[in-house]
Amino acid sequence: MSSHESFIRCRGVTKTYHKGNTPVTPLSALDLDVPRGTFLALMGPSGSGKTTLLNLIAGIDSPTSGSLHVGGVDIAKLKRGQLTKWRASHVGYIFQLYHLVPILSAFENVELPLLLAPLSRKERHRQVQVALELVGLGDRSDHRPSELSGGQEQRVAIARAIVANPALLVADEPTGDLDRESATQILNLLRELVREHGKTIVMVTHDPRAAAVADTVLHLEKDRLVEAADLNMQAA
Amino acid sequence: MIAKSFNIVLLAVKQLTRHRIRSLLTILGVAAGMFLFATVETMQGSLRRATQTTADDTTLVVYRDNRFCPATSRLPEHYESTIRKIEGVREVIPIQIVVNNCGASLDIIAFRGVPPDSLTKYAPQIQVLDGTVESWKQRSDAALLGRHFAARRGLKVGDRFDAAGVVVHVAGIIDSPEPQDNNVAYVHLPFLQQASRAGLGVVTQFNVRVTSAERLDPVAKEIDEYFRSEQAPTRTRPEKAFFADTAQELVELVGFTRWLGLGAVAAVLGLVANAVLLVVRARVKENAVLQTLGFGQRAIALLVAVEGVLLGLAGGVLGVLSALAFLRWQSITIGNEGVTLAIMPDLDVVLRGLLTAFALGLLASLYPAWQAARRPIVSSLRAV
Repeated sequence: MSSHESFIRCRGVTKTYHKGNTPVTPLSALDLDVPRGTFLALMGPSGSGKTTLLNLIAGIDSPTSGSLHVGGVDIAKLKRGQLTKWRASHVGYIFQLYHLVPILSAFENVELPLLLAPLSRKERHRQVQVALELVGLGDRSDHRPSELSGGQEQRVAIARAIVANPALLVADEPTGDLDRESATQILNLLRELVREHGKTIVMVTHDPRAAAVADTVLHLEKDRLVEAADLNMQAA
Repeated sequence: MIAKSFNIVLLAVKQLTRHRIRSLLTILGVAAGMFLFATVETMQGSLRRATQTTADDTTLVVYRDNRFCPATSRLPEHYESTIRKIEGVREVIPIQIVVNNCGASLDIIAFRGVPPDSLTKYAPQIQVLDGTVESWKQRSDAALLGRHFAARRGLKVGDRFDAAGVVVHVAGIIDSPEPQDNNVAYVHLPFLQQASRAGLGVVTQFNVRVTSAERLDPVAKEIDEYFRSEQAPTRTRPEKAFFADTAQELVELVGFTRWLGLGAVAAVLGLVANAVLLVVRARVKENAVLQTLGFGQRAIALLVAVEGVLLGLAGGVLGVLSALAFLRWQSITIGNEGVTLAIMPDLDVVLRGLLTAFALGLLASLYPAWQAARRPIVSSLRAV
């Protein structure tokens, strides 16, 4: 696949931060192309830079050098305020521990990303309801997180991630805190989002069973991508 | 923009209910501080109104020179006819004042003896709530009580009461926009002169109305000049200057309370700042999550600031309204050297209290808001 058609395109991406006085470089001169509509799993040992790469792609961190295009936008060049606006409409983030706001109901949690969007209350509520129906929790909208199971909480978090209809979803070990059955449901849901709704998903996982659901599995070893598990993926 | 801000305010309200006890304790602490602030502001405002002369003031008080208590200010009643002849004088009313305590006191009882036919000239602003002025005029030992006085002592029309050696019959309860009128008992001048053993023909002071504010000083000088060599020389001042001079101790005492007000403001500031800082520290990760969802730095800062403002305002409303209710219910009057200062709250105090509470809430949350907004997302997500 040509890099021109890539939805995500990294070129020479390096990330260095400091732990005290010691510079740490989890990613060095990384190149990566991910086509639109791909379910990509990132694997690797702890400290290999998976989450760092995920955060860079999600626009919540910026590379020290290199270019990082997502959907045609070089997000490495965006300033903090511009990145915030870009994230609001282009990325949905799914956390391992869901990170729902405990005082809010499922509906209100899903509504959060739309609160600052230029939408009428009616339209906002319609979109929230659609997202909750999509994850199978239309009948749990008034439940608070403490009244939901772990799997249901993660489904609320997924609804929150997709409610603004972003093209890209990033997930940091989304099944890491779930039992086998719930994990399977979540992975099937993610799979469906790619297949039925054309989302591009980048998922960090330690679990080979979770990775097996993805179209592509990449391994990060010592700040580099060392293996491409799919012919459509070009990793250098 | 307005809709977004409104959504953030709604979110902030929900966040405040998250730690109900903590929010409630903070609000109660703020309320206590704002209660004190509003009470002090009310005292300051009452003092200001009682002592600051305005362009509309046209009343002079003629008092015995070098005397500060009604018990020692003794002037011949016949001075009235002399004062009346001075150019620029519109009305002269001899008044006998008897108080139960000349020192600073919270329970002052003041009788004002005025000629029965001059009451409506002396205090045209009074309204009779119960009883009638006619029944007051008809009975020599009758008294018209200010409503706060009556409420404080539990007196009603038809009652008799004894204070400072004077026994009177309550003929009516009055209300007046002049706070002092609500804390005194108006009685007949001759009756009070006899009952207080001052003797007929002796009064405490003359209240002199002049034709315009410009005539205050010339008339005062002329009065004092005229009686300078008499056995009872006078000192004449505008009514509010008389109050400020006579109740000097009271003025200093109330002036000191300004520091209590400032202390209350500092306490409220510290309390809200501490509460908001705790909120921010407890929500480092959650604020980072909100930022991943598209909340910008400004939105995060606004969310934190709104929580601080809401805490300040909720406590402010509670504290200021409590002070308002307390002061109205208690109708506190401070007396000193025979003059009384009614501590009465007004709309200005309420508005200033709420504005102060709002400003303190905002000020207290500025640093926490800035701190919350500038934290990098990634390190915040890693925070334990």
